[in-house]
Amino acid sequence: MNGASTVTVNLLGYVDQGEFGDDPYRIDHDGRPYVPVGDGGIVLGLRLGDSVFTHLGDHAAPGVCLVHPVDDAGHGLVALSCLGNPVTVRTGDAAGSRGVVLGKRGGGKRVIAVFSQDVLARLRSGDQVAIRSQGQGATSLLAGVTQLNVSPVALSLLPVAVRDGHLDVGVRGVVASRVVGNGIGRPMAMWDVDLQCAAPSSTLPELRLGDLVAITDLDGRLNAGYRKDWLSIGVVVHAGSPQPGHGPGVTILLSGHASSFSVRSEGESHQGLSEERLLAFVENKE
Amino acid sequence: MNVTSNVERLLTQVLAGEVWPPLADRHGYRVDPDGRAFLLPGMGGVTLDIHCGDPATGYAGDHIEPGLSVRHRETAANYALQYLTCIGNRVVVSSGPAKGAGGFVIGQHAYVLVDMDADEMRNVTTGDQVTVFARGQGLAFDNHPQIVVKNLSPTLLANMPGGTLPDGRLEIHVSATVAPEAIGAGAGMASEYANTDLMGAYDVASPGLSLGLESLRIGDVVALTDQDHRYGRGYRAGWTSIGVISTGSCLLFGHGPGPSTIMSGPSDAFVIVRDEGANLKSFGLDGTKAWS
Repeated sequence: MNGASTVTVNLLGYVDQGEFGDDPYRIDHDGRPYVPVGDGGIVLGLRLGDSVFTHLGDHAAPGVCLVHPVDDAGHGLVALSCLGNPVTVRTGDAAGSRGVVLGKRGGGKRVIAVFSQDVLARLRSGDQVAIRSQGQGATSLLAGVTQLNVSPVALSLLPVAVRDGHLDVGVRGVVASRVVGNGIGRPMAMWDVDLQCAAPSSTLPELRLGDLVAITDLDGRLNAGYRKDWLSIGVVVHAGSPQPGHGPGVTILLSGHASSFSVRSEGESHQGLSEERLLAFVENKE
Repeated sequence: MNVTSNVERLLTQVLAGEVWPPLADRHGYRVDPDGRAFLLPGMGGVTLDIHCGDPATGYAGDHIEPGLSVRHRETAANYALQYLTCIGNRVVVSSGPAKGAGGFVIGQHAYVLVDMDADEMRNVTTGDQVTVFARGQGLAFDNHPQIVVKNLSPTLLANMPGGTLPDGRLEIHVSATVAPEAIGAGAGMASEYANTDLMGAYDVASPGLSLGLESLRIGDVVALTDQDHRYGRGYRAGWTSIGVISTGSCLLFGHGPGPSTIMSGPSDAFVIVRDEGANLKSFGLDGTKAWS
């Protein structure tokens, strides 16, 4: 946005419980019923750096989902929250504890925040948190590349830099737009995109929570959609899903013509976001 | 279609629906692939002059729903209507000046979509009641156990060309084959509801968008490559889903004309025959003629 300074807005979020309908089952891609575990709410035992394929969950996120009971306020919460934004617990047994926004989930309803395991164990659904949101509208590192869903100062945590007129990005792997499922056609400031990958492949090694991935032929500046020779870069924010059309989720951070990027597919050597670095980042920033 | 099935076991359920108004929010605008704002008609109401066999694209609209857009006022009763209604099911207008006029289902979107005689349709508007004679869910082919059938009425099945081949595969006539890159919004949703938006058929000339789908027509039968829609809509290499185009022009990015799914199975269970005539209109489901 022409170098204008970003605006910081304090938001109120509520710790989510996760919801079921009358029927406990969902149906997997082969027609088998299963009980979805970890789809929202507070999830223990799943951490940044873990494989998206190891745990028996459905869209499980490494930490807690934050929501707002009023729909429009929930949309505002999700739209404005960005990777790296500090989160402070205001009520309950964990009041005063600090966490950090990782990304967001589909439906314009859920922000994913990372806390240490001992804080997560003290959280309870309904607890209130304050999110110091900032990042939407920030000037991109490189003209022609749209940047969204990330606090500009948090970019220092990611293997992203401008070199020789290109945006140099290190990623775990590269996937084609045809594997993008749920989230396509939706506004990327409010949704993630699910990758329809059930296991590692030749182009995508073991994907881990907090990794960066590149998606080819995907324009994710506004709504996500197919556009040849465009590229979108995002961070893996939740683990896989047995549901057809769903899978590990990616919050888009950067999108532009492929010629603007120099993408390094780092495979096993890729260093994704870690809990320690993220939490240290918000402590040091204050 | 020359295929044996369990059609004689299927029940008909009589379902009530109502023509639903177009909806908007106070901001009005949405954004096209290049970020330009637009405000256009499309979903809801009674959309005139677009019938089966007509082009799906080329209209100044977004998410064009041909004919009547029908739902039920109550959420659970609406799911019954959306899930149980099948393509080709008979529909009768039950109130208003067009009471008694007949039509047929061309597919689902956010609503059940109904085509009927063009002159009679002019007398239908928002709030008019319709009755759907829902029959088809549960349909299965005796000799094709790998193929899951859904949203397909016995009426449409009887009028489709193709069928069981001597080698055991199922011959299906389609007017187009769609690559997995085109699958847009609708991925990850239930395949008994709404449809699969196809990208790459926008009415804008911006580079990199086209996937060669600009000549689709409403009512076209299409084959979706690498799509498994048996229990929802997902990407799966080596699987094929068959659908019928029920909606038209979109400017909203990541959206487009969309097929409602009628079959899904391993690709080698099908023999796909390209046939320009593979359209509901050619199968006797002609919305320009009275239907009863």
